[in-house]
Amino acid sequence: MGVKHNSGDQDAQGPAHEARPKERPIVERDNRYWLSLDHYAQDPEFLKKVDEEFGSSPLREDKEEGWARREFMKLMGASLALSTASCIRRPVQKIVPYAQQPEEVTNGVYNSYTTTISDGHETLGVLMRTREGRPLKVEGSPENPLQGGATTARSQAWLMSLYDPERLRGPQKNLFNEKRTNKDTVGVTWESADAAISEQLKKGDIALLTGSTSSPSLKSVIKDFSQGFRANHYVWDPISYEDIQAGQKASYGEEGLPFYRLDKAKMIVSIDADFLGSWLMPATYNHQFLATRNDIKNMSQLVVFDSNYSLTGANADIRVKIKPSQQIDVVMAILNELSKLGADVNGDLKATFADYASVGDEMGVDPELFKMIAKNLWDQRGKAVVLAGGPATQTEWGTSLQVAVNYLNSLLNAEGNTIYSQAMGNLAGGAQQLFALVKACGEGKVKTLIIHEANPFYALPTQAWNDIFKSVEMIITTAPLMNEVAQHAHYVLPMSHAFESWGDSEPVNGLYFLHQPTIRDMYDTRGLGLSLMTWAFMAKVGPERIQKAETYFEYVQAVWRDSIFSSQGKGRSFSQFWDDTLQTGFVGALPSSSGRGFNASALSDVKKIKGRSGLELVLYTTTAMGDGQNTNMSYLWEMPDPVTKIVWDNYASLSVNTAQKMDLHEGSVIDIKWMDQTLQLPVHIQPGLHNDVIAVALGFGRTMGGKIASHQGGNAYTLVKWQDTPVISGSSVEVSVVKGKKIELACTQGHHSMEGRQIVVEATVAEYSKNPGANIHRHKVWNFWPGHAYNGHKWAMAVDLNVCTGCSACVVACQSENNVPVVGKKYVLQGREMHWLRIDRYYTGTPENPETVFQPIMCQHCDNAPCETVCPVLATVHSDEGLNDMTYNRCVGTRYCSNNCPYKVRRFNWFNFRKVDEKPTQMAYNPDVTVRPRGVMEKCTFCVQRIKEGKLKAKLDGRTLKDGDIKTACETACPGNGIVFGDMNDPESRVAKVFKSEPRAYALLEEWHAAPSVRYLSKIRNNGKETMDRDSHSQKGDHS
Amino acid sequence: MSQMKRNRLVLGDKTLKDITDDICAPLERFPSKGWVAMFLGAKTLFLFYAVILGIIIATGIGLLGVNHPIGWGTMIITFVFWIGIGHAGTLISAILFLFRQKWRTSVARTAEAMTVFAVMTAGLFPLLHTGRPWLDFWLFPYPNQRGPLWVNFRSPLLWDVFAVSTYATVSMVFWYIGLVPDFATIKDRAKNKIRKAVYGALSLGWRGTTRNWSHYEMLYLLLAGLSTPLVLSVHTIVSFDFAVAGLPGWHTTIFPPYFVAGAIFSGFAMVITLMTLVRIGFPQFKDYITIDHMEVMNKIIMTTGLMVGYAYGSEFFIAWYSGNMYENFVFKNRAFGPYGWSYWIMVTCNVIIPQLFWVKKFRRSIPIMFVVSIFVNIGMWFERYVITVTSLHRDFLPSNWGQYAWSFYDAAVLFGSFGMFLTLFLLYLRLFPAISIAEVKPVLNVGRDTKPKHH
Repeated sequence: MGVKHNSGDQDAQGPAHEARPKERPIVERDNRYWLSLDHYAQDPEFLKKVDEEFGSSPLREDKEEGWARREFMKLMGASLALSTASCIRRPVQKIVPYAQQPEEVTNGVYNSYTTTISDGHETLGVLMRTREGRPLKVEGSPENPLQGGATTARSQAWLMSLYDPERLRGPQKNLFNEKRTNKDTVGVTWESADAAISEQLKKGDIALLTGSTSSPSLKSVIKDFSQGFRANHYVWDPISYEDIQAGQKASYGEEGLPFYRLDKAKMIVSIDADFLGSWLMPATYNHQFLATRNDIKNMSQLVVFDSNYSLTGANADIRVKIKPSQQIDVVMAILNELSKLGADVNGDLKATFADYASVGDEMGVDPELFKMIAKNLWDQRGKAVVLAGGPATQTEWGTSLQVAVNYLNSLLNAEGNTIYSQAMGNLAGGAQQLFALVKACGEGKVKTLIIHEANPFYALPTQAWNDIFKSVEMIITTAPLMNEVAQHAHYVLPMSHAFESWGDSEPVNGLYFLHQPTIRDMYDTRGLGLSLMTWAFMAKVGPERIQKAETYFEYVQAVWRDSIFSSQGKGRSFSQFWDDTLQTGFVGALPSSSGRGFNASALSDVKKIKGRSGLELVLYTTTAMGDGQNTNMSYLWEMPDPVTKIVWDNYASLSVNTAQKMDLHEGSVIDIKWMDQTLQLPVHIQPGLHNDVIAVALGFGRTMGGKIASHQGGNAYTLVKWQDTPVISGSSVEVSVVKGKKIELACTQGHHSMEGRQIVVEATVAEYSKNPGANIHRHKVWNFWPGHAYNGHKWAMAVDLNVCTGCSACVVACQSENNVPVVGKKYVLQGREMHWLRIDRYYTGTPENPETVFQPIMCQHCDNAPCETVCPVLATVHSDEGLNDMTYNRCVGTRYCSNNCPYKVRRFNWFNFRKVDEKPTQMAYNPDVTVRPRGVMEKCTFCVQRIKEGKLKAKLDGRTLKDGDIKTACETACPGNGIVFGDMNDPESRVAKVFKSEPRAYALLEEWHAAPSVRYLSKIRNNGKETMDRDSHSQKGDHS
Repeated sequence: MSQMKRNRLVLGDKTLKDITDDICAPLERFPSKGWVAMFLGAKTLFLFYAVILGIIIATGIGLLGVNHPIGWGTMIITFVFWIGIGHAGTLISAILFLFRQKWRTSVARTAEAMTVFAVMTAGLFPLLHTGRPWLDFWLFPYPNQRGPLWVNFRSPLLWDVFAVSTYATVSMVFWYIGLVPDFATIKDRAKNKIRKAVYGALSLGWRGTTRNWSHYEMLYLLLAGLSTPLVLSVHTIVSFDFAVAGLPGWHTTIFPPYFVAGAIFSGFAMVITLMTLVRIGFPQFKDYITIDHMEVMNKIIMTTGLMVGYAYGSEFFIAWYSGNMYENFVFKNRAFGPYGWSYWIMVTCNVIIPQLFWVKKFRRSIPIMFVVSIFVNIGMWFERYVITVTSLHRDFLPSNWGQYAWSFYDAAVLFGSFGMFLTLFLLYLRLFPAISIAEVKPVLNVGRDTKPKHH
């Protein structure tokens, strides 16, 4: 008897190839040896007897009694459990060596692989750190031309979606009744699902609904499939860029989205485009923007006209609060000032613009402001860019705004310099396509609907549309977990996670990223590509390419060979080209373009918006949640919103005055009424908001998004007017107070003013030019003790506040690297969040018009650490390399150290926070970092495991440690290289230079003389003023 | 020079036998309904307390309101409160003994018992407030196989361990030694065998010989001498837990004397509370614990109350005078911040209300002194609340500022601890002679209108 395995080695490590569905072992009869003549003759009677005689074999594959083997396993399992369970105190876990050592893998040593994360609209080239075949940490890929190593909070949390306990383990069939009301599903095999689906596909009338994808291979496979089955492909994203597309079309006759080069800009004006937070490609734009801030004397200026208090607004040199209906006014006012400066504007237009001369007065801002902005733009023409976009600009007048902005950019000669047109052809999803699909479904022209990475049941929460979709004969979805789509689908064919599958992306035209799997499929899942290929293969339709490829990997290679290799191969063989691309993760270069002619007649449609009063709705997407489709990741929910510092909820933000007028307090509940929709949300009082604005975040309020994402906050998509170009913001809404109801918002920061203390130091460029260390008050401190001797290394860190945008990538990176638990809203409300690295956000100025500063705070690893002296059991001690070590094993949890820490960076395990973790979440834990038990203190370690790793690596290589060999998790995550870690005893290290000679460097709470090992570099504002004249003493924020 | 007339320390024309009978009566008769009711109440509260502590140990200290940034809360506050209570007992029994204050004899025993029970109640808190109470033995320096891994002698928390454990040991020994002759008396009066055997064993073979008395008095004197510095040292070291830390609002040199004065203040208030109850429960004790006794203690309450009030003022002055902005802020925030109410409760209860005792009538009125003593107890609990919570809740970086997350468990632990204390105290009243028979008898004649014997 021989057993043939098709399933492969379960322990295989590293990048794995996508396999065909696994088959069960087939038992073959071996006829070479015979026992008797009956046996030799294969007499059926005899064989039956033999079978019965040896019928108890667990491997027996019996057609009639398929349960025999399982029954055997069950009995064995039960008896094993009975005989052992009663005596075992705790499970014994054994570390078993590999039977077959996989290539590349050494136990305990990281392997990094290039791969790509496609998160909605942004495609990030990353390095995945894996250990023993387990993806553990997302790192930026430094050579990547787009992000240059930058990551986002979302990409750092992406790992949690791989190890999401709620991921479906295999294909599911929905047990619908007649009315399709019940939601019970059963597992089916791929074979039976494929059989049923190909039967259904034969009926024709197939539609595919996907989110927009930048993958050439996926687009190609969909094309091949659609061609074969005469299927229609509809692309739709809940948050799209249709206003920009429409504006481009009106201005230039072409629809494609431009690619902005903020790194080439010296003057950036943004109208509601939150490019640092969530607009288009935040990692890329963070990276580009921060590149312009390093040369301080010549740094760029960022002016933001902000309807919501966005992250970009928080980083603006000059931020002006507006309401959506003022967006056009603002652009026209700048145009008006620009026309006076010699820009080539014809007379008619000049007259039109002159109508907007009084915009400054109407808005109540300094009349010189627009003059100054226009002058700076004009002075920097060719190096200036004006951006408008995001959900806040998708209004009734969105297209007009874009046309005006395009005109402004064309005057500033931005096209071809800071704006590369037609460079992002991939973001093509539009509501028009969705309407076409709905229409087709309504007319009964769709018999089978395949939904991939789109969730109309969440984002279009109107019953009528749901019913139309539900009338489709069969809905198939690739949802990875039971979500809103899956509950309405006949077949749920869970797709493999991005980290498990091959793929590719073309984020901007001409730049290609490869997706490399970093783990074998954890479950019985399959990508959309392979499914489409299988169905096409079964029906024998479609072009040769889709028929021929065995796996999606082969298909991707075929696409690359056909289309990308020819232009990017540069004389290499394909396999060499492929391997090189796997090494770097990308091939190609950033696009470029030249200027285009602006169609000036489009400007005639730009009209002043008149007679608007009352509250205007502003919907926005957040850094953490994005469009809300993939949010079942706990790290993101507990990541404080960069500006409001609120976790686990969305809320209606109102200005201080409006809240006062309506007698609303933080957490009061209101009903937002718009047309026939009502959304109930708690109020958040946001300083710096326009009095006529009510701002609500999208992406919350999932009804079935997984255990973590469901029922958190309210679904603001209900307030979107779905039409050909959706109206997301700017609608007039009515607000009514829900009396007697309060929803407490969990805010991680209790107080928002610096109380006049030297915490974040700011200076203007003018001050900096005179004195680079401006506004830093240095204290004379002295000590009669000799201090510690650091003979080997002395670790230290420098944080440049000038390039900290508060994006919070470091916060989540730290959490992922150091196994920091998530505690949930209830405990955040009680002040028990666990982040080792937090970003403090302070407002300065008045509550009407505050500016914002950010400050990442981690353990300062003080030389005179106050925590060390008070611990009664020596659980926290000073290392000879200047680290403040925490010995979890020794800690009894008196919390004295935390009380005595002036920075309050220590976090205590109030409960066993790990008790709620479900398998396989544990797989995401970094094996180099202890998972802390209940009752012990923890805090930032300067990533001591990475220090060890770096030192060992240098030792094995037989060299001394170089500066930059060791990078902490926060350092690698930062899009602006704002965090520098290194050895103070190496005079050439970057950090030693900061300590020694950087005039902007200062120690936090220097006068307390804890002698911290962290230096902060003061923030410089390019706001054109001479001094930071505002008085922070006079201004106090909300009291906690 | 005419001799000043002393008030009598024992009222009623008692004979020596009357004294013995009176004091032994509660031990020898069936408990009264009042005692049973109180005991059942206290015991129920004690059991509830035990269950609550069990839940906290099983689940985590996070059930209480402690959080980030307020790492210490109800448990530490209540620990300092109970340790403070204990001080009056030691002061009465040891210091007043050394100063030959004869009036102390009738209250010393009960005050000392209060000390022992208060220290027992207090001692649980530092052990249970840790994150992993099952590892508390690591706080003690003992030879071990971890290197050996020693404790951190620089940590005030470690000093605290020594201070409190020494205090508990010495107080208990002192109290027990004082009880020995009385145990013998009870043994002699016992009418059943078990009683005789138990008290006989407790009396350590006391026979009342001259040699017994001679040794006893020397030992008592020595233990009094040993206890005396503890009155000052224990709360000094408890105050170091705060004063040695760098936190504004904690880091002040006034803390040791201020804490000691506060401890005596609260301790005497608790003695008053308990003695008024004892007088009600055992009316025959009114002859021994007289209004004069109570008045003396009320004077001490008033004096120490003024000291505490001075400390409150001094802290504010120094906060301003130091020019330290963090210190300055903490004190402004104490009085006028979100926890201002607790500060003003403290000032009202500790400084303003005891001023009533300037009036002699109030000093000698049982209902008034009872109410005042309750207020002082409340005020002194709030003093520790103010020190612990308000200093922690707003320190250096405003981003850290937060509020104490008071929970059901905080209340349960605070009130439950009274259950433990009262259970022990009520058992003591039934099982031990609540007034020292041996010490009261010698002062029987003080202030009596008989001719002085020796003159």
